[in-house]
Amino acid sequence: MSLRIAAVGDVHLGADVGGRYRSHLTGIEEKADVLLLAGDLTRHGTLEEGEVVVQEFRDLPIPVVAVLGNHDHHSDKPAEIAAMLRDAGIMVLHDDSVVIDINGTRLGVVGGKGFGGGFAGKCASEFGEPEIKAFVNHTKRIADRWRVALKELEADKRVVLSHYSPVNDTLAGEPPEIYPFLGSYLLAEAIDAEGADLILHGHAHMGTEKGITSAGIRVRNVALPVLGRAYGVYCLNGEGGC
Amino acid sequence: MEAPQYVAARVQGALAEDDRTHELGIRVDVRGDQLFLRGQVGCQERRTLIADVAAEAAPGLTIHNELSVVDIREPEEEETL
Ligand SMILES: [Fe+2]
Ligand SMILES: [Fe+2]
Repeated sequence: MSLRIAAVGDVHLGADVGGRYRSHLTGIEEKADVLLLAGDLTRHGTLEEGEVVVQEFRDLPIPVVAVLGNHDHHSDKPAEIAAMLRDAGIMVLHDDSVVIDINGTRLGVVGGKGFGGGFAGKCASEFGEPEIKAFVNHTKRIADRWRVALKELEADKRVVLSHYSPVNDTLAGEPPEIYPFLGSYLLAEAIDAEGADLILHGHAHMGTEKGITSAGIRVRNVALPVLGRAYGVYCLNGEGGC
Repeated sequence: MEAPQYVAARVQGALAEDDRTHELGIRVDVRGDQLFLRGQVGCQERRTLIADVAAEAAPGLTIHNELSVVDIREPEEEETL
């Protein structure tokens, strides 16, 4: 049995665009089995914008799993926004996992916001001032939690859902100077160690859709401005194809 | 006269931090007394707000609003992995 995964990130909803995205979700159940949201659902992370997100993605005929992004943290209300989404039946990952049964196939999704730091050979390290250590440590803790979640995950197919990027391939198009703020290789290292079938992320609006980790796991940047279409659909092949 | 790079950086900072915009992915270039805004935004209202905030952060410059509004296309054929 194969799984069709719809994904989009960086919809950056607010009252000014409320209802506009929803119209593109009509008939999604014919194209995909699950919808994954890769963070930056809002612009400012206010509760009012959280409510727009709820209205846009609630009561879809397929399960919806989300992570939050940096914009969703801006007003210091990420827990409240996550609770609003959960109350509307949208699953929200915070460095943990969920397993969804789709026609007898268990799809495991692990993820969270992720964070920055840069890519191997061109990255920050835990050295010097406490501010730098805290920055790098935040990413390390996240990567460790993902590693544990992946190790413990029991599923037929494994997808990692992040906001920040684990690889630099999918950042092509962004100024190289800001790569350390767009993602971290520590995330990819953790995922490569435990294995996954697909990694989805957003955040890099000017990046590129397709990339790959060092171990060969496919990475897709599903930020809405990168896709240019309402969502991408990725088919994880079982026997027989999609 | 202030160096154009600093003006561009100040405008970019204002676009990220101003409550009306919070846009991080806008490219700002200053050439002489001209300021160019490039990138993609979600709707026409945001496009106008960004130009307003940029104009406030760089008074005296002529703003060229070359931002485009993202046109959301219908989803395509799936990709099989
Ligand atoms: Fe974003
Ligand atoms: Fe982001």
